[in-house]
Amino acid sequence: MDRRKALKNIGTGFGVIAVTPTVVSLFQSCQSAPSYAPAYFSSADFDKISQLMELIIPPTDIPGAIELKLPEFTDGYIAAVWDKERQASFAEGWNAFLSASAEISGKGVNQMNASDWDAVLAKYLKPGSEISDAEKPAAAFASQLRSLTVNAFKTNEFIGENVLAYAPVPGEQRGCVDLMEATGGKAWSL
Amino acid sequence: MEINYDAIVVGTGVSGGWAAKELCENGLKTLVLERGRMLKHIEDYTTMNDDPWDYKHGDVITEEIRKQQPKQSRTGYVNSESSKHLFVNDLKHPYSETKPFNWIRGYHVGGRSLTWGRQSYRLTDFDFEANAKDGISIDWPIRYKDLAPWYHHVEEHIGVSGENLGLPQFPDGNYLKPMELNCAEDIFKGAINSKYNDRVVTIGRVAHITEGTKPGAGRINCQYRNRCRRGCPFGSYFSSNSSTLPMAEATGNMTLRPNSVVHEVIYDAATKRASGVRVIDAETKEVFEFNAKVIFLCASAIASTSILMQSKSDRFPNGMGNDSGELGHNLMDHHFQVGAQGSVEGLQDKYFTGRRPNGVYIPRFRNIGGATDQKDFVRGYGYQGGGGRGGWSSSVAELGYGAGFKEAITQPGDWSMGLTGFGETLPYHDNKMTLDYNNLDEWGLPTVNFDAGIKENEFNMRKDMMQQAAEMLEVAGVKNIRTYDAPYILGNGIHEMGTARMGRDRKTSVLNKHNQIHDVPNVYVTDGAAMTSAGNVNPSLTYMALTARAANHAVEELKKMNL
Repeated sequence: MDRRKALKNIGTGFGVIAVTPTVVSLFQSCQSAPSYAPAYFSSADFDKISQLMELIIPPTDIPGAIELKLPEFTDGYIAAVWDKERQASFAEGWNAFLSASAEISGKGVNQMNASDWDAVLAKYLKPGSEISDAEKPAAAFASQLRSLTVNAFKTNEFIGENVLAYAPVPGEQRGCVDLMEATGGKAWSL
Repeated sequence: MEINYDAIVVGTGVSGGWAAKELCENGLKTLVLERGRMLKHIEDYTTMNDDPWDYKHGDVITEEIRKQQPKQSRTGYVNSESSKHLFVNDLKHPYSETKPFNWIRGYHVGGRSLTWGRQSYRLTDFDFEANAKDGISIDWPIRYKDLAPWYHHVEEHIGVSGENLGLPQFPDGNYLKPMELNCAEDIFKGAINSKYNDRVVTIGRVAHITEGTKPGAGRINCQYRNRCRRGCPFGSYFSSNSSTLPMAEATGNMTLRPNSVVHEVIYDAATKRASGVRVIDAETKEVFEFNAKVIFLCASAIASTSILMQSKSDRFPNGMGNDSGELGHNLMDHHFQVGAQGSVEGLQDKYFTGRRPNGVYIPRFRNIGGATDQKDFVRGYGYQGGGGRGGWSSSVAELGYGAGFKEAITQPGDWSMGLTGFGETLPYHDNKMTLDYNNLDEWGLPTVNFDAGIKENEFNMRKDMMQQAAEMLEVAGVKNIRTYDAPYILGNGIHEMGTARMGRDRKTSVLNKHNQIHDVPNVYVTDGAAMTSAGNVNPSLTYMALTARAANHAVEELKKMNL
């Protein structure tokens, strides 16, 4: 079954907010990802970025970053939307982040596992860490990667149509309403 | 095809659509010429139902779009994946800049009526009398009373929603029920009303149907999708495609010819009238002439002026109607992109439904007499703005990353409130457009050069616009207020105007009080080119009212055999 079509059907069949285990397994069953050739990152960097994004958006009762193909989205986004200058400054931040990661883990970056990356993100993204001036570029990169991940998450069809409150044709406008009554506490996706 | 008509209308945007409707409904056989492609209501709104994830990278401006539309892309808010087809390819339609100018164009039937901001306000006598009172530039040849019935007529047909306030500087209109303020805006409104005597907060007056229906191609109530600038399948906001052109078509009197690049109005020295227009077919490059008793230039300020500049004859060696030397001068826009924003605390259990295609408005409160008069600048500004609940807040960032963070970003973020000032730009003679005959376009026609920018009065006004925005937000209890003054470039307001201005004296203006060229009375210019001063409100409604008034004048003059 075509994945897009499957997801569209989920959207109409199950309502806008609830995601049942059936939905998730249907989603998973349609995954037939051939290996992805990154447009911006090198293959080695893409693997690392994917691990980092999976830590930022891990699988819960809804799929995580890798299953949602957020790394693929982000790679394509940087390649197609950003100009060379912005790409270059991002690359600089990435290099700073890799150097800092090697220092924190005491390993070569190619040897780092998920818990090593987790420790790096904890240092740069959790509140309360002391960040030295030398580490600021690495910390700034971590924030930027988090923003890119959130953007990919919110631009994702499955999330937009099934997890967030999806109303393509609202039909009416009410200025000030109760959040729980309007969307059950979720943000509008559009 | 038939070459003789009663009337020719050049352009199909807000002005051209209105000229077509009024002329056709009055029984004139009318040829409507559009330089761009055909674009049919609904059928050709190719992106109207797209979600952001229907595009590989979301609904953004990609590098590929920037390559084709380097100038259209400069504003950042004009084109994207969902709307790029409604703006010109800058490589195909080049212009040059002595000073930076963002000339945003859409070449297709409907023009920018498809992508406009839909904010619809009336000018007032504060505006029509301003030049005379300040001793700046020249006096408008009309006053509010001349245009008021035409504003009413236009509003009745297009449908404008809003709230009447009874303010002299912000006249009441013929409005459909207003859209609703959201919770943050409602609190802001209450605070401003209680703490200022001279300022009010109201919902934007916007050309959307909020109740009932309007004539045209089956226009119904706004569905609050906020996808207006891709074309609306419900016809809920006003566009030529959904409203005026179908009404013109229904009379059986309209012939619409797309791909028709008008570049010259032909002058007949014997009759001292224009006899017709010269047209190049955009696709085949064939040249045609069409004749008519009356010609309406509604191609937008820059394009209509460019056509007049190219219309040279022994009588008008410097371009038709240019005895005064003012043609192409006094180029104006509205300057904006200055204001303040901040976060609104609380209201965590409140939200809204529908994507309201509109914001709040604060009418002008400067230089309208007494204590409101300023020493550092003349004229005034209004604010457009709004409250919202989006993004992810600092409290979400505290969660860092991981499962808790992921859950938090599925919920609405904090409330915010922002205000952007929209100010009047004065008509400066040296703010001008000219034609460059050394750089021709694909059709062998001269390209436009811009040499214009804002000056001291606008810069001083901007300081006040920023300061007052921050002060009002602060008074209303908004936190983390950040002010901004983005580098504004003339043209960013997409309100180009003034380059063939109306006036009382043929020595200092191009058009008379009926929008006729002073010495060629069967040529009317009724788009932004006609504006003698800019006022501070969005101008499209005024162009429509001027057009409807001029078209009915032309019909009367034809009956009297005066044209």
